[in-house]
Amino acid sequence: MNPEEPVDNALALLRGEMQSVQAPAALENVLAARFRRQHRAPRPLLWWMPPLALAATVAVVSWMVRAPMPSAPATTPSTTRAVVDDGPFLALKPLERIALEPGSTVVATEFPRALLADWGLPVSPDRAGEPVRAEMLYSAGGEALAIRLIN
Amino acid sequence: MFMPPHDPKAEHQLLARMKSGDESAFAALYRRHKDGVHRFALLYCGSPAVAADVTQDTFMHFITQPNQYDPLRGSIGSWLCGVARNLARKHFSIREDATDPAELLDDSQLAACHVDHDGPLERVLRGEAAEEVRRAVASIAPHYRDVLILCEVSDLSYAEAALVCGIDIGTVRSRLSRARALLAQRLAPAFRSAKEAV
Repeated sequence: MNPEEPVDNALALLRGEMQSVQAPAALENVLAARFRRQHRAPRPLLWWMPPLALAATVAVVSWMVRAPMPSAPATTPSTTRAVVDDGPFLALKPLERIALEPGSTVVATEFPRALLADWGLPVSPDRAGEPVRAEMLYSAGGEALAIRLIN
Repeated sequence: MFMPPHDPKAEHQLLARMKSGDESAFAALYRRHKDGVHRFALLYCGSPAVAADVTQDTFMHFITQPNQYDPLRGSIGSWLCGVARNLARKHFSIREDATDPAELLDDSQLAACHVDHDGPLERVLRGEAAEEVRRAVASIAPHYRDVLILCEVSDLSYAEAALVCGIDIGTVRSRLSRARALLAQRLAPAFRSAKEAV
């Protein structure tokens, strides 16, 4: 008898028995998931830019919609009269022309008192350097039509 | 026996598709080699749980490092066995620091770390005789055991086994011869009992 025969037979027996052994079935799913993760499309370098831009846009639009709107300026002297009633407007232009101005605007302002002399109003030389607060009625073209001094 | 028929062209095509992210190509390669790798790991480690871990880690390595496989150095199956062998050795912290055939000539000269003292004791195979042979194989020092499994059970060529183990073909031959002698020695009582029974 060949002295190697018993070992050959033993190994053949082992080979035959091992044929029924299989890798655990659960491994395939685990490995497939790992494979998918490995080959997932890589994120672009600046992937965070689009969402950031979107968030910024939403924030700005939201602020614009919710922020209080500045009150519209009064279009006639009569609208401000209720708030500040320090006396009548003094016409700097003919009344007929003021009446025909379509888009006159009242603007609160402050200027040197000496400027009143330019419109023919009396100015004390002692107080010529003091500032004076006033409401100006301007035409749509920016021309001063009337003035009211505010104490 | 463990390894599927070697068809390098088809396998390399699958590998190329797998590298480009084709999951079906990976699945095909996995199904082709999973049992061979698992059987090798099971015989080498002696524990189904450890063998399952080694098999999983081997294919994880395949997924993440497919470029490490060199088609000029053997089949994908033998390369996977090499990965499994390395992972199993890492698991058992076996060092390959005694590779001189003269030093490995006799088990009595092996350093303690070269022999599995933990011993794979759990039952793996149903057949009594086959389980006895498996235990005898598991009791052989790892240097001999891996060559014995690769050449005699996994049916790798001497050249492939040499690549897997990182040794030359002459050393594969001498280790295999020694492994067979050790196996005969371990199984001698069983052979005697069988002879007496006849």
